[in-house]
Amino acid sequence: MEFAIETNGLTKRFGNVTAVASVNLRVKCGEIYGFLGLNGAGKTTTIRALLGMICPNAGDVKVLGQTVGPHGRGPWSKVGHLVESPSPYPELSVRENLDVARRLHGIPNSKVVDEMIERLALASYANQKAGTLSTGNLQRLGLARALLHEPDLLVLDEPANGLDPAGVIEIRELLRTLAHEKGVTIFMSSHILTEVDRLATRIGIIHKGRLIEELDTDKLEKLRSKRLEVRTRNLEAAQSGLQRFGYESIIQDGTILIDDARAIEHPDVIAQILVKGGTPPTRLAVEQQNLEEHFMQLTGGVQ
Amino acid sequence: MTGFASALWAETLKTIRSKVPLFCLIGFSMAPLAGGLFMLILKNPDAARSMGLISTKAHIMAGTADWPAFFNLLTQAVAAGGAILFAILTIWVFGREFSDHTVKELLALPTSREAIVTAKFIVIAVWTLAMTLFIFGLGLIVGSLVVIPGWSVELARTAFINILGTAVLTIPLMSFVALIASAGRGYLPAFGWTILTLVLANIAAVMGWGDWFPWAVPGLFSGAAGPRTEQLGLHSYVIVILASLVGLAATFYWWRDADQTR
Repeated sequence: MEFAIETNGLTKRFGNVTAVASVNLRVKCGEIYGFLGLNGAGKTTTIRALLGMICPNAGDVKVLGQTVGPHGRGPWSKVGHLVESPSPYPELSVRENLDVARRLHGIPNSKVVDEMIERLALASYANQKAGTLSTGNLQRLGLARALLHEPDLLVLDEPANGLDPAGVIEIRELLRTLAHEKGVTIFMSSHILTEVDRLATRIGIIHKGRLIEELDTDKLEKLRSKRLEVRTRNLEAAQSGLQRFGYESIIQDGTILIDDARAIEHPDVIAQILVKGGTPPTRLAVEQQNLEEHFMQLTGGVQ
Repeated sequence: MTGFASALWAETLKTIRSKVPLFCLIGFSMAPLAGGLFMLILKNPDAARSMGLISTKAHIMAGTADWPAFFNLLTQAVAAGGAILFAILTIWVFGREFSDHTVKELLALPTSREAIVTAKFIVIAVWTLAMTLFIFGLGLIVGSLVVIPGWSVELARTAFINILGTAVLTIPLMSFVALIASAGRGYLPAFGWTILTLVLANIAAVMGWGDWFPWAVPGLFSGAAGPRTEQLGLHSYVIVILASLVGLAATFYWWRDADQTR
């Protein structure tokens, strides 16, 4: 089985509104896939389709090699999920909520509940009613529920929601460990781009129901890489001058972009070359294009 | 049905931990307690005269202070009160999953959705039957404490059959309440449905079509409109069973196949 998640032409309409249109997703086993989109882009609808909670109007969904549906059937003993905000039973304690999940997952060993409580730092709240938990602890409980049965695939909608900075780092490390050490595939949606950027090995961007781009590891690395941006009054002459000294560059939107590591580490050398060449810089800056910038370019321009 | 035992355990725990079923039981207990108060008033006409409205109400509701009148009151309370309180319990068991957004935790599980729905119906049936038995027992205690005449074991046996029969005819019809609470994704549509069926049942009974209207049958069985042998036929029981089965099948279908967006 190459793909943990596979959708072919996944389409879902609610009345006249097309929430998801012909989405073809391929998430490889062991991958951490970040699923990005603005509010209403179709992230949650896609996630619900992956979990058999809604029936697609067209297309099909395969999870861990098994077709999802009909009648909501799927390999759910191997899938952990957190859809939108966590919703435990407010009248039950943290431990009871996890015990309900344990039984519904058919796990005979009741010790897993205590282990998960320890792992998600919920021990102080174990006997507290879920309805009285803070947003951050609710999120921890939701994640504990999703991880309880040691799934092969985790489908998480906004996993860092409501967590404090230390909690965000803790959960990020937990997910990274699960993926790297246990080979768990993680499909996570988020609108916190920095979080996705730090964790994901591949990213899909959904906009207005359509998967408009997938960024693989190489593209992500490129996005994360630094570059030197130079502006002068004569761009072509400056570029030729830099080329004579072995610096390759491109001109984009009135700016010379240099990816060369030497230039990034020693921008003063570039300044000297430009001054000596009679094209002194009007701006010289080491910049790092980020996912956020790329995301805004994509979603801002697509109608 | 995969995971039925687990689903039943989970539903039972939720019911035990919630205050709603307890409040339903307390509400239902008002029937024998109010009945006892009416008997007390009717037994003491001099004191009753000074009590004004409640005395008049006691006369209208019960007529005389004896066991047949008391049991009659209790049976009619089960017919009217049961339709409301059983519905409240059903609405809570199904509707809360949507109001609290907990339904999404019940869908992608090794435990089948059919098992979860079956467990919910079983919890409702057991709890409503337990409530009915409880108020019958409480009625016996209250009646004994008030000391009313006309007791016989045969009378108590008949009253037990009437009360239990009324409840048994009311409980299956809760399948529609479960359906509306699920499809309506919350409490209010199902409350609306409960009120609507109560009103329609009364209209149907008044117009003489109650024997053909499933939601009027429990009330007619209770003897609220006269002896049930004159009011109901075999077709009435068949129609209750058929209507309940339709509600049951539709609820299962809805949980299994409808889009779940909560």
